[in-house]
Amino acid sequence: MITTDSYIPTPAKLVEVIDETPTIKTLVLAPAEPMSFKAGQFIQLTLPGVGEGPFTPSSSPSRPDRIAITILRTGTVTERLHQCRPGDVLGLRGPYGKGYPVDKLAGREVLVVGGGVGLAPLRALILALLDDLGPIKRLSIRYGARGMEELLFRREYDQWASRPKVDMRVTIDSPQSGWNGNTGVVTTLLKNLDMTLPQCVAFLCGPGIMLQFATQALESEGLRPDQIYLSMNRRMSCGMGLCGRCNIGPYYLCKDGPDMNYAMIKDAPNVF
Amino acid sequence: MTGQYLPREKLAEALADERCLWSAAGEQASPCETIAGLTKPRSSLSPKGWLYPSLQSVGRYGDGPTSPPAEAQAPRAIVGLRACELAALKYLDKMLLDGPFQEPLYQSRRKSAVLVSTDCAAAAPTCFCTSVGGLPFAADGYDVNLSPVEGGFIVDAATDRGRAWLASAGLDCAAATAEQLAQRDRTRRAATEAVGGQNRSTGLQAVQGQSLGLPDDADPAWQRYAADCVECGACTNICPTCYCFYLYDQALGPKLFERIRTWDSCLLGTYHRMAGTTPNMKPTPRPRLRSRLANRVLHKFTYAPAQCGLLGCVGCGRCIEACLGAIDIRQVAGELRQ
Repeated sequence: MITTDSYIPTPAKLVEVIDETPTIKTLVLAPAEPMSFKAGQFIQLTLPGVGEGPFTPSSSPSRPDRIAITILRTGTVTERLHQCRPGDVLGLRGPYGKGYPVDKLAGREVLVVGGGVGLAPLRALILALLDDLGPIKRLSIRYGARGMEELLFRREYDQWASRPKVDMRVTIDSPQSGWNGNTGVVTTLLKNLDMTLPQCVAFLCGPGIMLQFATQALESEGLRPDQIYLSMNRRMSCGMGLCGRCNIGPYYLCKDGPDMNYAMIKDAPNVF
Repeated sequence: MTGQYLPREKLAEALADERCLWSAAGEQASPCETIAGLTKPRSSLSPKGWLYPSLQSVGRYGDGPTSPPAEAQAPRAIVGLRACELAALKYLDKMLLDGPFQEPLYQSRRKSAVLVSTDCAAAAPTCFCTSVGGLPFAADGYDVNLSPVEGGFIVDAATDRGRAWLASAGLDCAAATAEQLAQRDRTRRAATEAVGGQNRSTGLQAVQGQSLGLPDDADPAWQRYAADCVECGACTNICPTCYCFYLYDQALGPKLFERIRTWDSCLLGTYHRMAGTTPNMKPTPRPRLRSRLANRVLHKFTYAPAQCGLLGCVGCGRCIEACLGAIDIRQVAGELRQ
């Protein structure tokens, strides 16, 4: 029996809408069937009759019954998603993609670098690692946003940093009254890294320009390309490696990513 | 069954029994037209449009009857496939059926159809299969192959499915004579020489499964060809191996929606375009037409061998015929290879 179910979303009720920043909301969804996923895998979120888009959950993979999707308002579909209210029924397909190589991080120093809404998928990784910090040596989080009001998940930073092995540094682009922390883009937090470089694995997510400069910064600190994972964004339609549009060279991000080892794509044009 | 002879009129009788689903002479072709088509150059349309329709419902969701009518499909034959089209199916099988997810609608039609191929007795002016590791007759990939000879065809049934189709069509063949077999070989040699001859000057000679060294899609060299492109998408639509698609939803009622899969084209500006308008959010990785044209050619000659071990171009030359800007992929790939 051939079925086309893989193209059709499973209903998911919106149970909570969290205003994170003036431009970012988190939609918490309860799918009709729990949807197990690995940190870094993405889902296709359908707003019925409006459109569908790929998003990596920002919630812990330990809760497949309650999936949080953190969305920056940036286009037609995300504008409408921001208007959704608890009780609305949306749709989910997936999960798709490889996910972060969490099981290969034993003994490593993990560096998480986020920019803006890029902290959303990284939060799933952070939460998965916080669930069991035993195998890894260290978790360092470096995060930058345009301003104080755009700092995502800011109520959680102290809790993350209070855990053993974890340190977190945050910056905003330019000085602001009431802000005593670092200023400057996130790459300013990547200079003179106090990490054991050969053991380091870095996971980056953010706008293209941030990925570009953060990658350059890490390389000049001495990280090899194969120690850097980039969360790549390309237009996607199917999520299943069939529709063709999310390619970087021969790789389909939906199938081979969306987090790509930089060594695999560094020679391709238009990466950033 | 190999080396059997089938007179033309017997095949015509069998095809009259509506066993032919798609014919190289056209989807609605009569048996006579189908048989006449077997000795002509490959048709202007490939069977991609039947196996993988350009616009198709993939299902419904919401409140209401969500099951569209099931597609009833008895095994029937695709008649008149050429070696290039079998190569295209081999490639589509890899790209659409061999990954972690299978394209269900292609799979359904692909698996139910009996593939009846034919040797090319004549080449279209744009045919260049011999430049991309192919030949104008098939060595494998078919259920039944028909080689045109005087008065009929030499029949080669390669699979049980092919033999069953011949039997169900009542096609009992006689042994071919040595002269008929020799005629088949002469026709094959002549067609191979004809295709090779008309492409000697293009400079394109790709080896099956190997990447052709081409500049990357940021290289300005592609501009020479992109200047003639009008972004119509004809090349990708007509191509027997282009499979890119886009999903969109349409409302059937206030709360009932249908999801449609439609062919898409990597040449179009909307193909890669993402949401986001700020300078930090690059809305498309290939804003230039030349990069998108490069992406198509690179997919065929560089990415496809890396993805699945096969070239993505089968040398049918349809994109050359269809192009409004007279862009010739033989020339593009031949001139830019490094």
